[in-house]
Amino acid sequence: MNALDEIVRSIVTYMPIYTLSGLGIVIGGRAGIFNISGEGAMMAAASAGYLSAVFMGNWYVGFLISMVMGALFGLLLEFLHEEMKVNQFIAGIALVIFGTGLSDFIYKLVVGIKFYIPDAPPTPEIRIMPDIPILSAFFNQNIVVYFTYISVIVAYYIMYKTRIGIEHRAVGEDPRAADVVGINVKLVRYLATIIGSAFIGAAGGYLPLVITGTYTPGIASGRGFIAVGIAIFASWRPERTFLGAILFATIEAIALQMQVSEIGVPYQFLLMLPFISLLLVMALFKGKIEHPSSLGKPYSRE
Amino acid sequence: MMFWEKSKPYIWAIGISFLAIGVLVWILGYSPLEAFKTLLFKPFSSKFQLTATTLKFIPLLLSTYAFSIPFILKNFNIGASGQMLVGGTVVAIVGLSFESHPISPWILVPLLLLVAAVSGGLFALIAGYLKVKFGVDVVISTIMLNFVGFYLASFVATTPPWKAPLTGHPMTKELPKWALLPTMGDLHIGIFIVIGIAVLVHYVMTKTVFGYEVEAIGHNPRASEIHGIHIDRIVLMTLFIGGAMAGLAGGIEVMGVHKRLLEGFNITSGADFGTFGSLTALMVEGNTIAIPIVAYLVAALLNGADSMQRTMMLPVELVFLIQAAMVLLIVSFRGKFKE
Repeated sequence: MNALDEIVRSIVTYMPIYTLSGLGIVIGGRAGIFNISGEGAMMAAASAGYLSAVFMGNWYVGFLISMVMGALFGLLLEFLHEEMKVNQFIAGIALVIFGTGLSDFIYKLVVGIKFYIPDAPPTPEIRIMPDIPILSAFFNQNIVVYFTYISVIVAYYIMYKTRIGIEHRAVGEDPRAADVVGINVKLVRYLATIIGSAFIGAAGGYLPLVITGTYTPGIASGRGFIAVGIAIFASWRPERTFLGAILFATIEAIALQMQVSEIGVPYQFLLMLPFISLLLVMALFKGKIEHPSSLGKPYSRE
Repeated sequence: MMFWEKSKPYIWAIGISFLAIGVLVWILGYSPLEAFKTLLFKPFSSKFQLTATTLKFIPLLLSTYAFSIPFILKNFNIGASGQMLVGGTVVAIVGLSFESHPISPWILVPLLLLVAAVSGGLFALIAGYLKVKFGVDVVISTIMLNFVGFYLASFVATTPPWKAPLTGHPMTKELPKWALLPTMGDLHIGIFIVIGIAVLVHYVMTKTVFGYEVEAIGHNPRASEIHGIHIDRIVLMTLFIGGAMAGLAGGIEVMGVHKRLLEGFNITSGADFGTFGSLTALMVEGNTIAIPIVAYLVAALLNGADSMQRTMMLPVELVFLIQAAMVLLIVSFRGKFKE
């Protein structure tokens, strides 16, 4: 029971990384912006969030800064796409490299010269459950886990139950039709990409602030790309993103557990698991995956 | 006049990105002049530096092709890194299997290079197959395969019988002498291989039916289908060729530079060759004459960034910022000036 409880706890702890980043990509994608810059935004957000948390001595400041950093990446991506007419994938790839470079660059400038690497302030926790095994692992958790639950619910509600959500999805499905009925396509795309990237930034900040306690170069280690896979796997729906995130958090937690317990399978093959399973999932669910129709395509009035 | 028109976006992009970086360096309290001097002139300043630049140029050029060839059909192969790792890994396995069987390098070296190219190509074909059969976007699949390639290499570098005894860093034993690329001083003969490939690519793309077909599909997939060019086949072929280029780069690095497989051999100046290759390819947009020239300049920039980190303590990552900024500006301006 205890071991199982332990695994569930680690799954729930890893879940926000994938949920928040996946959700961010879904929000942008629903407006037609295929945001593959997540890995770069996560790195830059991780570095900026960690450094500001350490220097301000305040966890909340760090988390907020990581969201702001993410949002800036979203703004930049959408600006390049909308105003400079850069292909979304090209802008995305360039921003991944930009983010990777930026994160290590600021980190090296600020901390690189010191030998002592400070820990981020501890993450606030909320305990509202009595100690029931397994179930309490979902609720007696750090504050970001709650933030994640709320974000998924709110995103689902807005996307499917409000007028804003209808307009948001309309832009992703058919920007021309949306334009005709008076929706400001550009504004919706800007907002969706910026807000989405803020969530990606939150996922990035979560890594050093909660998971590892300090920044290490390459901290996102491909999770920003897995998030893209999760968004696709989820058919660009927030609630399925949550399920996909649980799935990948489970794979990561199990791989980690197996690594510790030395079961004979080389750990490299366990670490490959998330990536291989993603490819398999995309191939197997080929017909069942839906994409917003204008995904990845630019829109202009002419 | 034509040339000037064409180079306008590049001149603007390069000017602005260097200006921005100069300001950044200045704000951070370093001398921009010294930074640029190190970055731009150091790589050409001595024979030693030229060799260092050329050694970076060899895998960089091949990684650039790995991206640019599939990109003609709008497929983003950002998996050069994984394909390079797989090429290097397979070469290490095969090369080490000849450890106690001396054989003429005249046979083994070409064989190993072929093995590297084929294994990289096959690895890229996974992405091609997923694309053609299941419609999985090549961007996504090649990214995922990069991690698979990385862990594959890491497995071989840390597991007997390949693993080198008594080292902290994951690496294999040294390859036997008969599996190594011949060298001239500090430079290995890989440079002649890539020059040959550059000529070949230029010839194939501009003078052959295959090159024509690829270009035609790239410009207008639908019309080409009607005219009977089988698109799926060409997609698979371009990905195979791209992967083979990257795989060959991996083989060359293992056989020529490191003499063994070691974890991180695909990394230079802080990022992998695949990444720098993709960026370089995006800067030139498929011009087969410009690709080797620009790749050499980027290799020089990377070498300059290494010197800058050593002598000025400016983080080498500065070069990522420069290159990412340049690519974004070039692509932006190319669109803008066309309007």
